[in-house]
Amino acid sequence: MSTALRFAGRRVARGLLTLWFAVTATFLLLRLLPGNPALAVANPNMTKHDQALLLHQYGLDQPLIVQYGKYLWQLLHGNLGISFTQQVPVSSVLLARLPWTLLLTGSALAVTIAVGVPLGVLAATRRGTVVDRLVQLGGVVGQSLFVPSVGIFLLFFFGLWLRWLPIGGAYSPDAAGAGWYGNVLAHLVLPCLSLMLLQIGSYVLTLRASLIDALGEDYCELARAKGLPNRAVVWKHALRNALLPTTTLVGLQLGFLVGGAVLTETIFAYPGIGRGIYEAVTQLDYPVLQGAFVLLAATVVVASMLTDLLYGVLDPRVRTR
Amino acid sequence: MRRRSFAALAATAVGAPAVGGVLAGCAPSPRPGSRAAGATLTVATTTDVVNFNPLVGNSRTDYWITDLMYPRLLTIDEAGNKQPWLAVRYGYHDPKTGYYRIRDDVRWSDGKPVTAADVAFTINAIKRDKPAGNTTFGQLTNVARASAASATEVLLHLSKPDQTVLREVGFWMNVVPAHVFGKVSNVATFANTGDWVGCGPYTLVSAAKGQAYTLERTEPYPWAPGGKPSLARVVFRVYPDINTEILALRSGEVDLIANTLPPAQVDVLRHTTGITVRKVPGLGYAHLAYNMKHKPLDKLAVRQALAHAVDYAAIRRVVLQGQAVSTHSSPIAPVLTAYADPSMTEYRHDPAHARRLLRQAGYHADARGRFGLSLRMIYSLQDAVTAQWASMVASDAAKAGITITLQGMDRNTYLAKTDAGDYDIYAGNFAIMDDPVTNMALTYLPGGAINYSKVDDPALSKLITDAQVATPDEQRELVAKAAHLVRDNVYDNVVYMQNFYVAHRTEWTGFVAKPSELLTVVDPASLARVRTRS
Repeated sequence: MSTALRFAGRRVARGLLTLWFAVTATFLLLRLLPGNPALAVANPNMTKHDQALLLHQYGLDQPLIVQYGKYLWQLLHGNLGISFTQQVPVSSVLLARLPWTLLLTGSALAVTIAVGVPLGVLAATRRGTVVDRLVQLGGVVGQSLFVPSVGIFLLFFFGLWLRWLPIGGAYSPDAAGAGWYGNVLAHLVLPCLSLMLLQIGSYVLTLRASLIDALGEDYCELARAKGLPNRAVVWKHALRNALLPTTTLVGLQLGFLVGGAVLTETIFAYPGIGRGIYEAVTQLDYPVLQGAFVLLAATVVVASMLTDLLYGVLDPRVRTR
Repeated sequence: MRRRSFAALAATAVGAPAVGGVLAGCAPSPRPGSRAAGATLTVATTTDVVNFNPLVGNSRTDYWITDLMYPRLLTIDEAGNKQPWLAVRYGYHDPKTGYYRIRDDVRWSDGKPVTAADVAFTINAIKRDKPAGNTTFGQLTNVARASAASATEVLLHLSKPDQTVLREVGFWMNVVPAHVFGKVSNVATFANTGDWVGCGPYTLVSAAKGQAYTLERTEPYPWAPGGKPSLARVVFRVYPDINTEILALRSGEVDLIANTLPPAQVDVLRHTTGITVRKVPGLGYAHLAYNMKHKPLDKLAVRQALAHAVDYAAIRRVVLQGQAVSTHSSPIAPVLTAYADPSMTEYRHDPAHARRLLRQAGYHADARGRFGLSLRMIYSLQDAVTAQWASMVASDAAKAGITITLQGMDRNTYLAKTDAGDYDIYAGNFAIMDDPVTNMALTYLPGGAINYSKVDDPALSKLITDAQVATPDEQRELVAKAAHLVRDNVYDNVVYMQNFYVAHRTEWTGFVAKPSELLTVVDPASLARVRTRS
């Protein structure tokens, strides 16, 4: 077996183990939450006996180990269960929301990298100048922004004052045909911008620091001594190594992106999975919560595996470790 | 190789939204424009529909949307009186047989008539399947079964006399079509997610979770002027954040906010051009319940001292910004004019009197004026208004020498603690107390589902149980006596009854305000009449 294959195999095995741990932890943590689903949905007229019947209907009156076993068995068969409150399969609940979260977080990530990498390079190559200081200041401010404040400001400025962009939702209810895609894009701009503003500081500052380090390395000095133009030294030699911490950050930030999306989706009335999770928490809808967390854990695990694999491509030494 | 590695990172970044875009394309597309001519009213709400089955769903948005599709037997007027709706008449053939006589000119959206069989089916299905969120279920305790005596007469066969059941079931229960709901084995697990059959004024035609719910006009609709609802369609759009909701109203993206406004926003929107703010009377109240199973709250003097410690007027002025009224410490909302007793008086805010009461009860204050009484008060952090006045109550109590430890918590913990009776003082509110007799039974009878004070007073219990089988006139007298007992013994400490405010774009008119935060101006009677001023 080649080194690359062994490396990939180890990463996949580690990912599966992480996923199992996330599934188990989610299952247990939800049951440690105060309250019970019968209380969350019951009306004031409901007697204790009827609450007990409801718990039986949900299967929550069985021993924890039995519930866990059944849950894992169903999960292995691709069955995420039935929502307590909506009485529909969890998979359909999540699939209706997942595309919007992917669209939002994916776009935000793309825009963040597309803007953050050049800004990081600019700050590093203009180290100590006004430009560098401004970029650093922007980065620090960006990291300290609070989602609701940014969101409401953007909505007020672009949605209410300038009236350039819609206030909320993923599309207007009356949008149809080809215009629907433009409508979706218009609704995407502000939440995407909001997430980007919150994320970009980390990327810029990380890349700036690692690029400054890389530019001071011997191989960059050698490249310059060989007469390579500075642009080539930066973009072809130093940036590749400097991107390693940024690549790690992409994987790490994915979890934050999804978490941040809960608030962003709430402020911008975006119909993604983050909002679905919030609603399921308020109703203690265990199957939906479990399904959502499994999905998110799988997303983060897969992203992490991809990051590891990409790391291996960027730095072949990693594969041999 | 260098080029390839950078390209890989770029591809990851750019590929994600591309994937998202493709998946988004797979998401349910919005329904193309309706064929029906006329205006569209866009209504903002903060939550999604949880369940489209009106026998199960119990969230506010569930109620608003399904209420536009599934009729109720009775409605309520501004004075809190139950009025005919689907049922034109109701009463009792004998003490154990109630009846509803229903209209004969109402049809489901698929053309089938609405009959007594639909009503009987709905009642029996609720009895049989016990849907979890269903309010009616608990009201059917004394109903053995329902039957259709004819196409227009429904009989309720009672297991024991109950004078409240017809009013309550008639007001709370949505009637569902037997020919649709009867096809499922268990109505409690029926999701009702499509092919909706309703009987107007509007029926759901499309739903995109997290996004919007579109309802279209049902014709004929005999309750609307001319037999036709004024709007072609009503669209509910979901804005989970109230600030976003208000921006959407101001920008014209929505025409009406269905949720009542937070007190702080009422004056702001009153002074906003293009926005009209409308008052809706409340039907519930905010209260403090003292757990009488916990010492020393079993002592009347301690409860009275706590009641006299609170500055009710300040709470209504500061937290509610003048948008709440006193119930005069009665558990009967003033809007229920048939039952409210104007002779009752609110507990006077008098910390010195509170201290006197405690001293008379044998408590001694220390050098700092503290009586050594330490009580835990729970409230839900999701209820911002209660969270504010809870801290004022604690501060007031401190002035009377009583220590109240605040325990704000998430809603589910709050519900669990409430259910377990794990509190000294419960701060919260009842949303709709529409029927004094029924509500007193739930609130003050031993074992009552919302008896948070754990009251067990034989004299009070007798008044309530007598009222349950008394005539309406007798009920008023018994309820008044019960209210006095509750007030004088501090079985419940009602802080205020809140009036609600809703906001809409000024170009719309015709709204009918129905009491309570649940009905407001999105009640079918209102939305069937709304139109643009032009």
